[in-house]
Formats: sequence, structure tokens, C-alpha cells
Amino acid sequence: MKKDSLFSFVVRHLSFLKHVPLFSHVFDSLLKFRVFLTKPYLLDWFDEIEAEVMQWEGTAVGLHRYGGIQFNRKGKEIGHLHSNGLLDVLYTKEIKVRLLKEGRVQPHHIFEKSGWISFYIFSPEDKNYAKELLKMAYDARKTTQ
Amino acid sequence: MLKGFAMSNLLALLMVGLIKYTIIPNDGTLVFSIFVIVPILMGIVSSWFWIKIELKSKALIGYSILNGLLAILLSYVFLGEGTICLLIVSPLIFIFIISGVFLGQSMFRKNNQRLNVSVCALLFVVFVVDSLSEHNYVNLVADEMVIKATPEQIWKNVVAFDKIEKKDDYWLFQIGMPSPSQTTVEGYYKGAGRKCIFSNGYTFDEKIVTYEPNKDLTFDIIGQPLDPEIMGHIDILRGQFLLKDNGNGTTTLTGNSWYRLHVFPVWYYDIWAKSITRNVHLRVMEHIKELSEKR
Repeated sequence: MKKDSLFSFVVRHLSFLKHVPLFSHVFDSLLKFRVFLTKPYLLDWFDEIEAEVMQWEGTAVGLHRYGGIQFNRKGKEIGHLHSNGLLDVLYTKEIKVRLLKEGRVQPHHIFEKSGWISFYIFSPEDKNYAKELLKMAYDARKTTQ
Repeated sequence: MLKGFAMSNLLALLMVGLIKYTIIPNDGTLVFSIFVIVPILMGIVSSWFWIKIELKSKALIGYSILNGLLAILLSYVFLGEGTICLLIVSPLIFIFIISGVFLGQSMFRKNNQRLNVSVCALLFVVFVVDSLSEHNYVNLVADEMVIKATPEQIWKNVVAFDKIEKKDDYWLFQIGMPSPSQTTVEGYYKGAGRKCIFSNGYTFDEKIVTYEPNKDLTFDIIGQPLDPEIMGHIDILRGQFLLKDNGNGTTTLTGNSWYRLHVFPVWYYDIWAKSITRNVHLRVMEHIKELSEKR
């Protein structure tokens, strides 16, 4: 999985700035601006993913505290999408292990040992898979809640 | 749609006007709120009008950039800002307007008037407090260069030099920012006047305050050109050339410049100030090196 070096640098070395009010949101806007200039089609895909999630019962979207759009089911987060196309989704450890074996997702870019996974969206197939990942997390949450 | 552009820019004009022309005592400093809080509020206001037409993200960002360009054009017309200044400021304006638009979208989707009023009021309070606060930022940029000549051979080229013929290789100089071109001096003594002439003919008037031949030339800037690119944004306070004999036929030349910034936030504008000052140093010091090594 090809990483976004600007994003990785900020997350690894400037993460203390997340405590500055609005920093994460402004940084995400910088990513949006960059995507707008370089890969504007990604923005349409993000909208499509958001529209799909919003069709599922009990979902809502908001701003993620570390930048990006957050998807919730009944007030609980199921995942979030950063504006560089990095999708982070929360699963149980068992589902995470199964997904990692399938080889398309990676452990979370920071919390590697948690139930979170990370997945970069580059292609239309990735976009569809991102929807599947979110639906999987949504369904898993539905059965546990 | 047009209301979003019009109302957000009207708000920006009112807020900037409030700082520049009315209640707040101000020495011309452009505080961080002008470049951060005002664009965020512009984004929130435009989002209020645009949310009803359910724009896609791509359109929202496109319109935000257009809105930023409109604000920049208004700054050019009403505030008389220079084009390179506006080029430098534009990334800040775009990013914070985009932030405001998506913040507004998220706020207005919740349809919670208390939240909306609280966020806008908080941003306005930050704007007022920042505008009333004292802003003072002085910095030094230092650069070193080793020249294959003795201090005695270099000294005369440090005090004054003929026109620099070399083409500008710094991108801001290439697109029109004036670059240092020539230095003249009234005499070789402490208290003598010195002039640093730039490529567009603008001149910095200087006065030599330390004159230690082959060692230290320090000069205060006593008159800056009325160039819209720097007027009210940065004051060059002092310049200095130090020469250190390395004992092997080479000399280390150090160029120091002290400046005061009148534009904030420092974390953004100081990057530019350092880069420009550094490139002014390098252009002059490379010229001194070339003259001194030619002999």
C-alpha cells in the first residue's frame, strides 16, 4: 500500500499539534485542497461513500476529531475517512485478523495493535471495497449493539 | 449561490475595516485573525447559503477557492496590496476558507442554533482579543560562506559593490520581487551613509554603525522604500557582514539581517521572510565572493 508521505510525516512528527484547536480540521482541508488540484475524482468518490453510508439506518456523519469525515452508527463511530483517501475502520480483533489475511487492508497507521484497520482509496475498485469495509463494520456493530 | 460570495466578502471587508480604520488602535500590523479567523468565518457564512443547494465536495472547494480569489482581488483594490504579497497570502486564505466551509457544513447539518452561535461568537472573540493584543516579532537570519581570499581582499567588496549582473535564480525574484542589485557608500568610516539599490530602483538608506576594517561592517536601515510588497509588512532593521580569517588563505563571510514582522501568524510568514532574506544574502554574498576571488 503506497503511503501519503506528507500525511505520514505530520502524523508521526507533528501529532502534538492535534491539541491546537482546529489544527486537524485545517490540515484535512489542506489535504482536500491538494486532492482538488491533483486527483479531484477522489472527492466525488468520498461523496459517494458518504451518500451510501447515510442510506443505512441510524447512521450520521460529522467531522472527525483528527480531521476527515466520521461515520457513526447510533452515535458510535464505525470509521472515518481522511481527505487523502485514507479510510480507518474499527472492527473486532477477529474480523481485523481475517481482513489482514485477505491482504487488502493494513493495520491502523498509528494504533497497529487495536481493532482499527487502514485502507487507502486509489481506484474505483478501492472505492467499492471501502463501502464494503464500512458496511461490514456497520453490520458487526448492529449485531453487538 | 451569489449570496454566499457576497455576504462572506462583505463580512471580511467589515472585519478588516474594523481593524484598519475604526475602534482598534493599530500600528498597521496585520494580525493572525485577518488571515485565519476571517477566512474561517467567510467559509462558515458562505456555507450557510450554499448548504441549501447541496453542493458536492468538489464544487464546495472550487467555490471556496473562487471566494478566496475574490477576497484577494478586493484586497488588491481596497488595501493596495502588492501582487507578490497576495500570492504569498493566497494559500492561507484558500485553506482557511475551505476549513470554514466544511466546518459550517457540519455545523448547519446539525441544525443546532446554540452551537452555531457559540462557534461564531467564539471566533469573533478570538478576533477581537487578537486585534487588541500587542504583536512584536523580531528575528535574525544568518548565512555563512567561505571565500578563497583574505579579509583584506574581501573588505572593499563588502562595503560597496558594482551592479550584480548575474541572473536571479530565486523563484520570487524571477517573478518580479525586487532583488539586490548594487550598493554604494558615501565614505569608508563609521557614520557614513550607504545605499542598497534593488533591481526595480528602490533604495534602502543605511548608516554604518560599526566600521572595523577586515572584520565587521554593521549598518542600520534608516529608510525603507515605499514598496507595496513590503510596506507595513516587514521592517529590515539592521544588516551586518562579519569576516573571519581562517588562517589558510580563506575567509568565512557571515551575513546577518535583523527584521521586524508586521504580519501574523509568524509560523507562516516567517518562513517566507527567512527565505527571502536568505536569498537576498546569498545573492549579495555570492557576488562578493565572485569579485573577491577574481582579484
